[in-house]
Amino acid sequence: MPYGRKKLYTILSLACIAGYTWLIFTIQLELKNSGGVCLIKRVTGIPCPSCGSTRSVLNLLHGEILEALYINPFGLIIAVIMLILPIWIIFDIATKKRTLYDFYFRAESFIRKPEIAIPLVLLVILNWIWNIKKGL
Amino acid sequence: MDAQKVDMFIMTNGKYFESHQVAGIRDRLISLDDSKWSLIQTIQFKDPTTSIIVSLLGGPLGIDRFMIGDTGLGIGKLLTCGGLGIWTIIDWFMIMGATREKNMEKLQQALI
Repeated sequence: MPYGRKKLYTILSLACIAGYTWLIFTIQLELKNSGGVCLIKRVTGIPCPSCGSTRSVLNLLHGEILEALYINPFGLIIAVIMLILPIWIIFDIATKKRTLYDFYFRAESFIRKPEIAIPLVLLVILNWIWNIKKGL
Repeated sequence: MDAQKVDMFIMTNGKYFESHQVAGIRDRLISLDDSKWSLIQTIQFKDPTTSIIVSLLGGPLGIDRFMIGDTGLGIGKLLTCGGLGIWTIIDWFMIMGATREKNMEKLQQALI
């Protein structure tokens, strides 16, 4: 196992906290069309595969699921992860189990299989092309 | 194992590990059985220099993390534009160490 349980949970919690902080920050400042943090977009002017996911999550918050999917389907994945992760981490810490830890590494080795990985990579590339076409 | 063989291994592969780990690796290898030598010799380690180049170029897409085998973190980085660009910059400094850690894990798995 590459990480200890503690280290993995710390990384995941930090990522969650950062995600929520970013979301609150965006809502507070109403940075509707920020996109300014993406290095790829800043440097090349071309949107990256995950550009627009903040806008997508914001749309989800307003209940506009179709609109969110249109902007960037990644937003849906991020929203689901951000909803499930904190609950799962708290559940694991409270019950002193390691269900998330085991699941994480099982998921990792599952995704690494070529028959799974190649379609996923293709999907990401297709999403990227779509993003460029939409001109996010 | 023969000290000369071990020193040869350290000389060719030392750069793939953290400097503080090298002494420990040397001791472990010297106390190791000779039959494991061929296995140890065939392990392919990832070069930290390659990963820093990949990190500089493909960091915002998480390719560096995918490359060293951190698939989960790679996906996290990919989905969030490289952690809003912050994680990308942090990883420019972290990825060499992370690669060396991964190499150490690989060696440890072979030694068990």
